[in-house]
Amino acid sequence: MDLTNEQLIQMYTTMVKIRTFENRVAELFADGKIPGFVHLYVGEEAVATGVCENLTDKDYITSTHRGHGHLIAKGGDIKKMMAELFGKETGYCKGKGGSMHIADLDLGIMGANGIVGGGPPLASGAALACQYMGNDNVAVCFFGDGASNQGTTHEAMNMAACWKLPVVFINENNMYGISCCTTKSMCVPNIADRAAGYDIPGVVVDGNDAVAVWEAAAEGINRARQGKGPSLIECKTYRHRGHFEGDPCTYRDDAELEEWKEKDPIPRLEQKLLEMELLTQSKIEKIKQELQKDLTAAEQFAEESPYPDISGLLEDVYT
Amino acid sequence: MSLIGIIANPASGKDIRRLVAYSSVVDNQEKIRVVRRVLMGLQAASIHHIAYMPDYHGIVERALDGLHADLSAERLQFEVKADQRDSIKAAQLLAQQGAGCIVTLGGDGTNRVVAKGAGQVPILPLSTGTNNVFPYMVEGTVAGLAAGLIGTGKVSREEGTFQSTRLEVVIENKVADIALVDAVVSADVFIGSRAIWKTDKIRQIFLNRSSPANIGFSSIGGMLRSIAPDEPFSMALELGKNGLSVTAPIAPGIIEDVLIENMQLMAAGEEMDITFSPCVVALDGEREVEIKKGQKATIRLSADGPFVVDVSRTMAFAVNKENFFSSSINKRSRLKTN
Repeated sequence: MDLTNEQLIQMYTTMVKIRTFENRVAELFADGKIPGFVHLYVGEEAVATGVCENLTDKDYITSTHRGHGHLIAKGGDIKKMMAELFGKETGYCKGKGGSMHIADLDLGIMGANGIVGGGPPLASGAALACQYMGNDNVAVCFFGDGASNQGTTHEAMNMAACWKLPVVFINENNMYGISCCTTKSMCVPNIADRAAGYDIPGVVVDGNDAVAVWEAAAEGINRARQGKGPSLIECKTYRHRGHFEGDPCTYRDDAELEEWKEKDPIPRLEQKLLEMELLTQSKIEKIKQELQKDLTAAEQFAEESPYPDISGLLEDVYT
Repeated sequence: MSLIGIIANPASGKDIRRLVAYSSVVDNQEKIRVVRRVLMGLQAASIHHIAYMPDYHGIVERALDGLHADLSAERLQFEVKADQRDSIKAAQLLAQQGAGCIVTLGGDGTNRVVAKGAGQVPILPLSTGTNNVFPYMVEGTVAGLAAGLIGTGKVSREEGTFQSTRLEVVIENKVADIALVDAVVSADVFIGSRAIWKTDKIRQIFLNRSSPANIGFSSIGGMLRSIAPDEPFSMALELGKNGLSVTAPIAPGIIEDVLIENMQLMAAGEEMDITFSPCVVALDGEREVEIKKGQKATIRLSADGPFVVDVSRTMAFAVNKENFFSSSINKRSRLKTN
């Protein structure tokens, strides 16, 4: 099955939506309007977009500390996201969770996760539930290169492989776990190489190419839906910004960043869609204006929303 | 002093065909072990100097580590890009330095890019990729011996190598890229995940070697006629909804029926139109070249492909020349390898 023209335009729009949201969050954070930490997804948009284009609301995703892109690609409400980032009561977690805890169970979003390697066991658990319920829903686990070295990831993959669970592990290899390059934290060049140890398919794909990611994810997700078990797809990508906002990035050089910016997934798809005459400059402008309007509304909603009342401090606390 | 180059591709054998087909995973530890055996073979054939492509995994460095080989090894100096540019650059540098032979570890795709930079330097291709029609499934030790025999001139290039043909993709009268095994025209508009496996999208196949014993698209043509790697012919197939049905192993573990509407042989220098656009042309198994709507594009068979070491022939010539009688072998390395 091929991507339809509508899907291609939707994927482009989703990537621009993520980029626009993240760039504004960077500005708001710098202005001191967002408390806590934010880890931005700028540069990695093709991964979440390409994968989630294959999913329905009944499918599950688990996310990471860099989760805004996953949430938007899975259909998350940017008003509630922005309100949560502002720490407001109208946010996804009533303003008490912040960037790293946003979840929307109605959309199958099991949550961003501040614990590196926290997502894989949740994804295998969700996949076990799908298998137990006998439906053809799947779970997708987004996880980073740092998480790939955590024991939880090994346990989750091993169990998923043993039980042929309908889960697809999507590794976002952006080359750095905080400041540590994968060349120093791993003894194999590809995280996908580890799939052989679980007897599951493991493939490497260009994570800055939304169509390439879509193709690989489509195969892995269909495989999972058909009861053939898990797979591991490693998407090679790069974050344009630091690990967190404020990170001086002294551990990587400018030339590396510039080279990856040349492989920016958004202009790549934009150029292709212009060639295919699916987009025109005026259509692009219109898409961007609409997104900007929605973003402005989300920001206003967040600004105008109240902070949670102190009386609710101990509500929604799970131990 | 004879120089042998080693280009071991750390990325070969990892693409989407592990998911959509049943391709093997060739891990880099295995490549390290193969390189080690190549090095021992080279040393036994009196090669004392090698130069190698740097890679982020350090395949050759790790192979050398702890080997105690009587070899000087030079890491080729350039900035590693971790993509196919590295293989081209390494091949170019080795050609400039006058290497006698380049041993490659990869699949058809790896050798395609090495051939772009190798010039007249013979390639000895070892199989560690997905579709392995161009490279050999041969033991690394023997490959090392054969590369050493060619590199030192103990077996001459005329005796131990042949010149392969190559397919050239010509767009608007310029050669855009080459293939060593097959060029497949697919009704795609995206390069996407690169590999090609959906036969319903394939419109034309051009093969400069074919055999029913091959894996991949060259097996389709092989069901009609075999073309040896050094034969100055290629085959052009048109696929469609009618015609002759052929069952062929188009990818590891994937055997499919395809309908061939037309088959034509092409002689060296001959050019045929790509009749479908927009399209993507897959070269040696990977989508590489986009042909835009209305662009004039052709496939040309060229006799100027890479020189390739024929391992069996090289070893046979060496035996005839008594290269392997004990007095003519480097005794010190024999003692070490034993």
